[in-house]
Amino acid sequence: MPLAGVEPARMNRKKGDKGFESPRPYKLTHQVVCINNINFQRKSVVGFVELTIFPTVANLNRIKLNSKQCRIYRVRINDLEAAFIYNDPTLEVCHSESKQRNLNYFSNAYAAAVSAVDPDAGNGELCIKVPSELWKHVDELKVLKIHINFSLDQPKGGLHFVVPSVEGSMAERGAHVFSCGYQNSTRFWFPCVDSYSELCTWKLEFTVDAAMVAVSNGDLVETVYTHDMRKKTFHYMLTIPTAASNISLAIGPFEILVDPYMHEVTHFCLPQLLPLLKHTTSYLHEVFEFYEEILTCRYPYSCFKTVFIDEAYVEVAAYASMSIFSTNLLHSAMIIDETPLTRRCLAQSLAQQFFGCFISRMSWSDEWVLKGISGYIYGLWMKKTFGVNEYRHWIKEELDKIVAYELKTGGVLLHPIFGGGKEKDNPASHLHFSIKHPHTLSWEYYTMFQCKAHLVMRLIENRISMEFMLQVFNKLLSLASTASSQKFQSHMWSQMLVSTSGFLKSISNVSGKDIQPLIKQWVDQSGVVKFYGSFAFNRKRNVLELEIKQDYTSPGTQKYVGPLKVTVQELDGSFNHTLQIEENSLKHDIPCHSKSRRNKKKKIPLMNGEEVDMDLSAMDADSPLLWIRIDPDMSVLRKVEFEQADFMWQYQLRYERDVVAQQESILALEKFPTPASRLALTDILEQEQCFYRVRMSACFCLAKIANSMVSTWTGPPAMKSLFTRMFCCKSCPNIVKTNNFMSFQSYFLQKTMPVAMALLRDVHNLCPKEVLTFILDLIKYNDNRKNKFSDNYYRAEMIDALANSVTPAVSVNNEVRTLDNLNPDVRLILEEITRFLNMEKLLPSYRHTITVSCLRAIRVLQKNGHVPSDPALFKSYAEYGHFVDIRIAALEAVVDYTKVDRSYEELQWLLNMIQNDPVPYVRHKILNMLTKNPPFTKNMESPLCNEALVDQLWKLMNSGTSHDWRLRCGAVDLYFTLFGLSRPSCLPLPELGLVLNLKEKKAVLNPTIIPESVAGNQEAANNPSSHPQLVGFQNLFSSSQDEEEIDMDTVHDSQAFISHHLNMLERPSTPGLSKYRPASSRSALIPQHSAGCDSTPTTKPQWSLELARKGTGKEQAPLEMSMHPVASTPLSVFTKESTASKHSDHHHHHHHEHKKKKKKHKHKHKHKHKHDSKEKDKEPFTFSSPASGRSIRSPSLSD
Amino acid sequence: MADAAATAGAGGSGTRSGSKQSTNPADNYHLARRRTLQVVVSSLLTEAGFESAEKASVETLTEMLQSYISEIGRSAKSYCEHTARTQPTLSDIVVTLVEMGFNVDTLPAYAKRSQRMVITAPPVTNQPVTPKALTAGQNRPHPPHIPSHFPEFPDPHTYIKTPTYREPVSDYQVLREKAASQRRDVERALTRFMAKTGETQSLFKDDVSTFPLIAARPFTIPYLTALLPSELEMQQMEETDSSEQDEQTDTENLALHISMEDSGAEKENTSVLQQNPSLSGSRNGEENIIDNPYLRPVKKPKIRRKKPDTF
Repeated sequence: MPLAGVEPARMNRKKGDKGFESPRPYKLTHQVVCINNINFQRKSVVGFVELTIFPTVANLNRIKLNSKQCRIYRVRINDLEAAFIYNDPTLEVCHSESKQRNLNYFSNAYAAAVSAVDPDAGNGELCIKVPSELWKHVDELKVLKIHINFSLDQPKGGLHFVVPSVEGSMAERGAHVFSCGYQNSTRFWFPCVDSYSELCTWKLEFTVDAAMVAVSNGDLVETVYTHDMRKKTFHYMLTIPTAASNISLAIGPFEILVDPYMHEVTHFCLPQLLPLLKHTTSYLHEVFEFYEEILTCRYPYSCFKTVFIDEAYVEVAAYASMSIFSTNLLHSAMIIDETPLTRRCLAQSLAQQFFGCFISRMSWSDEWVLKGISGYIYGLWMKKTFGVNEYRHWIKEELDKIVAYELKTGGVLLHPIFGGGKEKDNPASHLHFSIKHPHTLSWEYYTMFQCKAHLVMRLIENRISMEFMLQVFNKLLSLASTASSQKFQSHMWSQMLVSTSGFLKSISNVSGKDIQPLIKQWVDQSGVVKFYGSFAFNRKRNVLELEIKQDYTSPGTQKYVGPLKVTVQELDGSFNHTLQIEENSLKHDIPCHSKSRRNKKKKIPLMNGEEVDMDLSAMDADSPLLWIRIDPDMSVLRKVEFEQADFMWQYQLRYERDVVAQQESILALEKFPTPASRLALTDILEQEQCFYRVRMSACFCLAKIANSMVSTWTGPPAMKSLFTRMFCCKSCPNIVKTNNFMSFQSYFLQKTMPVAMALLRDVHNLCPKEVLTFILDLIKYNDNRKNKFSDNYYRAEMIDALANSVTPAVSVNNEVRTLDNLNPDVRLILEEITRFLNMEKLLPSYRHTITVSCLRAIRVLQKNGHVPSDPALFKSYAEYGHFVDIRIAALEAVVDYTKVDRSYEELQWLLNMIQNDPVPYVRHKILNMLTKNPPFTKNMESPLCNEALVDQLWKLMNSGTSHDWRLRCGAVDLYFTLFGLSRPSCLPLPELGLVLNLKEKKAVLNPTIIPESVAGNQEAANNPSSHPQLVGFQNLFSSSQDEEEIDMDTVHDSQAFISHHLNMLERPSTPGLSKYRPASSRSALIPQHSAGCDSTPTTKPQWSLELARKGTGKEQAPLEMSMHPVASTPLSVFTKESTASKHSDHHHHHHHEHKKKKKKHKHKHKHKHKHDSKEKDKEPFTFSSPASGRSIRSPSLSD
Repeated sequence: MADAAATAGAGGSGTRSGSKQSTNPADNYHLARRRTLQVVVSSLLTEAGFESAEKASVETLTEMLQSYISEIGRSAKSYCEHTARTQPTLSDIVVTLVEMGFNVDTLPAYAKRSQRMVITAPPVTNQPVTPKALTAGQNRPHPPHIPSHFPEFPDPHTYIKTPTYREPVSDYQVLREKAASQRRDVERALTRFMAKTGETQSLFKDDVSTFPLIAARPFTIPYLTALLPSELEMQQMEETDSSEQDEQTDTENLALHISMEDSGAEKENTSVLQQNPSLSGSRNGEENIIDNPYLRPVKKPKIRRKKPDTF
C-alpha cells in the first residue's frame, strides 16, 4: 500500500511523545485570505492568499500546498514569479479507459489518490517551485511569502451558493454563500495547507455588497466601504493559531442579533427570521456557562458567531470562533419537538469549539480524542440539562447503535495504526473502504466513529473518575491557551494539537492510573462484546449460578477479559457483584443473601435505597431472586442477551429505577405475551413518575403483545381506555380534550399512543375498526385554539397513526386499483390525508411536518395496494424548491418505489438527481437512502442490474463526485451494496475472462473476476455464453495485450511526469538533499512493490504468474498505476495560465522537454521494479480482502 | 297640550306609527278635543250672528283657535322654565297673553258677557297611555353631574350597541361536535375550492375529482413558509417581544445612520476601535450600550485622507 502517505505520519507518531514534528519542510506562521470579488449571479469568487512560511530545511525548493477546484492564475514568492504544477489525482481515481469495475480495486486506488495529496503526509495538489533567486535566501531559513491569485467558478463543493430565483437585488433575494465540507475541505475554496495540524494566524478580508455581511473567523477589526461606496470590506483577524481546515465563511444579507446575555456573541440569520433567531439562541448563554464551569476554562476565542443558513451541508458545522447551522433549526416558542433538538445542536457545536477548533489534532488517527472529548462533555451537558434519565437513555441508544453497526459491518476502529503497508496489518480489511483517511470513510462509519469515541471517553471516565477526566481536559486547554498566546513562537503552537499518546500521558499523569488495557481493548482494536447470559438458582447452596458466554468469532466482535459488574436484586435488597471474566470460565457462582421467600410482608429495598411493597405472588417460591442485570452501568461496549423468567422481567420493569433496565425489560417482554406482561406495561404507562421515553416504548411493546395474544385478548383494544382516561373528556369519552401541551411528558405520550394503537391487528390481521374510528375521532375533534403550543407534530403523528393502520388490500386477481373498489376504511383515511395535505398548502405547518407524514402515508397506501402505485406525485414534491424535509420524504418514497416496482426509469431519475441537484445534502441523502433501501443487492437477480448501471455508478464515484468527499463515499457505499466488493456479476466476463496457460495448454478463468460463489462460478464457466470467448480467445488475447500496452503507457506517462518533476525540483548539487529527499522519493516509488504484491495471485508458480499477469494485465496494470501517488490526469491539470509571465513560460517548456526524456527512462525503471516485486511475491501473503482471498482459493477451471 | 306635543315629538316613532292607524286610543283622544273646539267655534259664530258656515271655514277657524291656544301654552311653558320652574303659574299666562298683544283687562268682562253659550265639557276620555317603548337592556342612570329630573337616557341599544342573544348551547359534547364538523366543512369547502380553481394532482388515474390534491408548487424561498409561524401566531409573538425588537433595530439603524452622516471623521472611529478590545465583559452593567463589531459604523474608504496629500 502507498507508503508515501503513511511513512512520514508514522514517523511522527513515534516521535509523538516528544512533540509534534511537521511532515512539511517548512512552518506556516501566517496566512492572508482576501476575497475581493464575489459574484452571486455567476457564482464565482476571485481573490488571493498569502502564506508566510519559514523553511525548516536548508534545501527547500518546492512547496506543496492543497488546492482543489480553484483556478490559480499566478504564484509569486517574495514577489518573484514562481512556477507551479497543479495535479489532483482524486479528480478521476481510475483511468476512464480502464474497464476495471471491482470495488476493491477502486478503494485501494482511491485511498492512494487521497494519500498522494494528503497534507498530513506533506503532500498537496499544488506544487510550487521556489525560484532559484531565492535559494540562498532559503538556505538561511529566512521567511518566504507565497502570494497566490486564484478564482473559483461555480464551485461544486467547499463553497455553496444559495441564490433564490426571485426579483430584486441579491440581498433582497436572500442570496448567500457559505463554506462547507466534510473534514478538511478548505482547499476547495482557497489554496492552503489543508491540515488540522498546521496552525497559523490569519488575516481574512472579504469585500461584499454593501447590503451583505461577511461572517468569518476571529475578530472583526473593521468594516470599510470601497471607493464607490457600493461595497464594503470586512477585515477579520484571528490571532489564535488555527488550522486552515477550521476556517470558514458565510456571506449573505444576514440579520444581526447581538446576544443579550453575552455581547461578544453575535447571531446571524437570513432575512425575516430574526424573531425565530432571537428565541432559538436565547438559550445559548447557559451552554457557555456550563462548559466554562466544568472545564474551568474560559471560552478560548474573544468572540463567537452563529450563522444560520439555508441548504446546509450538515446541521452543525463548527469552525474557529464560529459555527454554521442549518436555518431549519430555527424555531419559535410554540414548537416543542424541535426545541431540544436545536439546543442539542447548539451545545454540540460549542463543545467542538473547545475540542476540535481551538484544540486541533495531530493526525487523523488522533481524531477520536477530539470527537470523544467533545462528545463526552456534550453528554455531560445533556445530563445536566435533560436529566440523568435522558442521559442514560441516550447512552443506551448510542451503545445500541454502535453495537448494531459493528456487528453488521465488522467493527469501528478508533485509533488506526498503519504498520509498514503490509496488507495483513490493514486494520479495516472487513470494510469496503480505507480508514486511513477521513476522506475515504463512509459517512455512516464516521458517524459511528464519533459515537464510539464519546462512549469510550465515558468508559475512561468510569475508570478514572469524572474529576480527573475534567482535570485532564483542563490541562489540555490551559496548555493550549498558553501556547496560543505565544504570538511569535510558532514552535510552541504544537501544544495546541492533541495526540493519542499525549492524551493518554496526561491521563496517567493526572490520575496515576493505568488505562492501557482499556485503550487497547476499545481504541486500538475494533469490535464489541457479545454476551449471552443465563442462570440457575441452586436452592441447596443458596447460590446463583450464572453462566456468561461470549461470541467472539462473529465479525465485529471481540473477546472481553476483565471485570464485569452484575447486579442481583434479591428479596433482601440489591447487591452488586464484580465477576472476573476470564478466558475459560463461563460459570460464576454468586452467593445469595436472602433465603427464599418469607411469608411475612416486608418492604423490599432497591438499589437506590428506596423501599417498596411488591406483590410477590408471581415469583418462584423457592428463589429469592427478583431480577438480575449484567453490566448495568454500560461500562463495556457490549450487547447482552440475558435469559430470565418473564416475571423477573416484569419485576424489573415495575421496580427497577434505572431507565435502561426498564427499556431492556420492555424489549424482553415482547417475547412473553401474557396477561401479566400486559398488566406490567399498562401500569408503567399510567405511572406519571416513569420516564416518558420508557412509557413511549411501552406503548409499542403493548401493541406487539396485544397482537400476539389476539385470540385471548379481553376488553377494549390495548391502550384505548387508558388514552380515554388520560386525554379525553370526562363527560364524553369519545371526544379528546382540547389540546394543552403544557406537560411535555403527557404530550409525548399523547402523540405516541395512537401511533402504537394503530399497529393493533385483529384475528383477520386487520386493524380493528374500533381503533380506526378512534383515531379518526381524534383527528376530527382535535382543537388547538387554546393551546400555547403548535400541534403540527401531533397532527403529523395522527397521520402516521392512520398510515400504521393500513393493511394490505385484498386483491382479486390483480385488478387495477380504482376508486370504485376502494375499501371504505381506506376511503376515510384518504379523505383525511387529502384534506390535511391540501390545508398545508393554505396554512403550512412548521417544517411541513404534516406534508411529510401525508407523503409517507400515501406511499404506504400505494405499497399496500389500495392506491395505484405511482411515483409522479412524489417526484413533484421532490423537486428543488420544496422544503428539504418534504423533498427527503418524497425521495424516500421514490427510492422505495424504485425498489418495489424495479423501475429503471425512476432509478435513472434518482441518479440524475444525485449528480445535478443543487443541494449537497439532498444528493448525499439520496445515495444514503438508496444504500439503505437498495433496489437490489449483490446476491439478487434484478432487471435493473446491468452493465450500463455499473458504468454509470462507476463513473459517479470515479469522477462524478470528486468535489464532495461525502458524496463520493456515499457512491462507494451504494456500489458496495449493489455489487459487493468484486466485479459486478451482471457484467459480461471481460474479454480477458480466460487466461491461456501456455505451458499447460489450459484455459484459466481470470482469478480476479471469479463471481461470488464458487459453484456459481463454475456454472457460469460452463455456461454456453462463455464459449464464444473460449473459441476466440486467441484473438482476444492479442487484442487485449494491445490494450494493456496502452494502459501501461499511460501509467508510465504519468509516472514519468511525476518523477520528472521530482527530479526537476530537486537540487542535485545540494548535499543536504540526501537527508530529506531520498525518503520521499523512495516513498513515492515503493507503492509499486506493494501494489504488485497485493494484487497478484501468489500461490501460483512464478512462470504461470507471469502469464497470468500478462493476461490479467488489464486488471492489474491500472491497479499499479493507481497505487502510484500521482496517477491520473497528468497533462490536463497542468494549470498554467497564459497570463503568467514569460519567465514561467520558459519553465513550462522546459518541463516538457524533460518530460519526454524521462518518460523512457521511467519506463525501464518501472519494469525493474516489477521484477523486484516478483521476488517479493514469493513470500506468502495473507489476503485480507474477500475478493483477493477468493482469488487464491479459486480453482483453475482445468483442474 | 304643549307638553303632550313635546313628549309626542320625543317619542316620534310612536306617534308616527300611530297616525297610520285610526283606531289608536291616542287618536281618539285628540279627535274628541278637536270636536270640542269645533263646537266652540260654531257657538262663537252663532253668537256673532252667523246662521250657517261652510265646513271649510269652520275648519280653518278651528285650526286658528287651536294654534292660538297651543301658542299660549308653549309660551307660558317657556316663561315658566325661564324662571326655573316646571309648573306654569297665572302670571306666566298673563305675561304670555300680553306678549301676544292681548288686552288682559278685557278678559273678565268678556267672560261675563250675557249672550255667551254654555258648552258641554268634552267627553271624559282617558289620557292616552303612551305606549311603552321596547326596553332593551338597562337604561343608564344619570351621571352625577346631571340632575335627576332630567330625562332619562334612552335605551342603550339606540346609541351604544345592540346585543343579540341566543339560547346558549350548554351541552359540551354537541358543542365540540359542532365546532369540529364546522371546521371540517369549512376546510373541505376551502380546499375543494382551491383544488377546483387551480392545478391538481390525483392518486387515481381514472378519477381526478374525488380526492383532488392541490398541486405541489415549489417556492423560491422554501424555508420561509416552513419556519415562520402563520400570521396570526406571528402577531401573538410580536405582542410579547416587540418592544425588545424595536430597540434592537433602532440601535442598528442608528449605527447605519451615524455612518452616513459621519463625514469621514476617522479619528473618532479609530478611537472607538481602540476601546473595543476591552470588550463587553466590563460593560455588562450598561445594557443599552452594546459594543459589538457588527453594530459599529462602516468606515469610509481611506482615499479621503490621501486626497489632501495630493493637493
